[in-house]
Amino acid sequence: MSNETIISLRNVTKRIGRTTIIDNLTFDVPKGEIFGFLGPNGAGKTTTIRMIVGLISITKGEVLIKGKNIKTEFEQAIRHVGAIVESPEMYKYLSGYQNLVHYARMVPGVSKERIDEVVSLVKLENRIHDKVKKYSLGMRQRLGVAQALLHRPSLLILDEPTNGLDPAGIRELRDYLRHLTRTEGITVVVSSHLLSEMELMCDRVAILQHGKLVDVMPVQHLNHGYDQEQTYLLQVEPSEQVIVALKEFDGINGVKRTQEGQVEINTMREQVPDILVMLMENKIRIYGVQMVSRSLEERFLEITGGGQIG
Amino acid sequence: MVNLVLNENMKIYRRVRTWVLIGLMAAFVLFVNFIEWHSDGKEAQGDGWQSKLEQENQQWSEILKQPNLGEGDRIFYQQRIEVNNYHLKENIRSTDGTIWDGVNGSANLMIIITIFTIIIVGDSVAGEFSSGTIKLLLIRPASRSKILVSKYLSFLLFGMLLLLTLFIMSVLVNGILYGFGYMDLPLISMTADGQIVERNMVLNLWKTYMLNGVSTVMYVTMAFMISSAFRSSAMAIGFSIGALFAGNIIMEALQRFDWSKYLLFANTNLTQHLSGHPYQEGMTLSFSIGVLVIYFIVFNLISWLLFTRRDVAA
Repeated sequence: MSNETIISLRNVTKRIGRTTIIDNLTFDVPKGEIFGFLGPNGAGKTTTIRMIVGLISITKGEVLIKGKNIKTEFEQAIRHVGAIVESPEMYKYLSGYQNLVHYARMVPGVSKERIDEVVSLVKLENRIHDKVKKYSLGMRQRLGVAQALLHRPSLLILDEPTNGLDPAGIRELRDYLRHLTRTEGITVVVSSHLLSEMELMCDRVAILQHGKLVDVMPVQHLNHGYDQEQTYLLQVEPSEQVIVALKEFDGINGVKRTQEGQVEINTMREQVPDILVMLMENKIRIYGVQMVSRSLEERFLEITGGGQIG
Repeated sequence: MVNLVLNENMKIYRRVRTWVLIGLMAAFVLFVNFIEWHSDGKEAQGDGWQSKLEQENQQWSEILKQPNLGEGDRIFYQQRIEVNNYHLKENIRSTDGTIWDGVNGSANLMIIITIFTIIIVGDSVAGEFSSGTIKLLLIRPASRSKILVSKYLSFLLFGMLLLLTLFIMSVLVNGILYGFGYMDLPLISMTADGQIVERNMVLNLWKTYMLNGVSTVMYVTMAFMISSAFRSSAMAIGFSIGALFAGNIIMEALQRFDWSKYLLFANTNLTQHLSGHPYQEGMTLSFSIGVLVIYFIVFNLISWLLFTRRDVAA
């Protein structure tokens, strides 16, 4: 993997009237990376993506794709980009194949063979000549991926790609993106409001809140905060005794009985084995220990220092 | 650019509704001409045309005897009589009861071409917005201007296809009803300086088509502008067809105002200059063309500005 920068945002700002929707975004994405935009609804993910692909004008700053400015060199910049903006809306009255022909005609150098290649890549061979209105959501999504890959883009942009997909579909898409970055060196920019999804998919994430960039970090930092407290759910009996014992133990916060036989605690990961040893020494029966993955909101409160979420 | 027009054509002709419109066009031509033929064209066939022309001449001579006849009407009837006399003298059949009677009459159906093209146009830009396909369309290496122009060209092609349908259907239907016998009949008319001339009927027909086509293009351009401005098919189709029908009524009400001659609707019908009865005194063909060109440029400029500048947010 080279260090070539595929996409670069410089002080990108979007204002509508007096409202600043996107405020001074600056970041680079190197070749071959899967880069995620994470943020609650209304944080500005979709607006940012639409500015990157030129659907929305940029008030200030610039977007460079392979060094080409999307505003002033639109045709040269956009030919490196394949995208699905929200759900892939195709011409429903055309067949899947006709839809692909339609997009192929708009880019120089897409042969008939390439169309067939992409169709088999997304495994739509059997249904490609059916009208799109007869497709299931998953099939439409795959056709969306096909149109995005048709012209061998260097950069793939997916806005909320997993919206409406079932778990199998999400998994398929994820594996597929991994495959693309590994084998073809494609760079992927993807947005989502689901933390769990981003954990599994991305290399790095940018966290957006109120149109501002809160942080850019490797996804591991987001997931297992070794230096941060996590919530654990203990299935133990008798719980009254457990609570007493836990409250005396150092390094445990917020002991709370959620229901009979279940206790929730906040503690550091490193403490967990010690706590279990202590409980066993007290002859407490342990049925299970479970890390409670925190919701995005909680995660956000932490990262943004308790600020209110849009 | 050719590819973009191919794309737009694919989006037009791969839809059932487009073929319903074309089928309706053909059906209208068939229906109207059959009714026409059934009600009076049938009797006019055969060799009775001489006596009919003589009858007409007699009627008009009676009218000319009226003392309070206006100057314009007097000239009109005098000219008609002279044209009829030419027919009789040279033994050239009048169009009554021939294929041309129906074919020329069918040119009035061009208003249907306007309506049907407006339907396709109104949906073309707005439909891409409402279905969301506009997003995938605009993230290709083709500028918005090129996409807009390709759409516009595809509408003109569609209008021409309807015109061709009209022409072929009217020739076929009337040929079957009246027989193809008088295809080479000349058009007898009188020039402005009182000369009687024979002209080619087919050329004259296409001249009528083209003059009416100007009005179609104007309404289509208007629908296109509304479609790009409001991104609503219903609004584009409704407004444009409304204007098409209400235009004449509004113009009648405004006729006494001098400035009304600058309005679009006062100029769309260029055939008014052929008949010599323009909307207001002093309007010439070049005046109307000038006004139409300005409207045409303004409409297209607005479409272009709105389509290329505005954000695609929804």
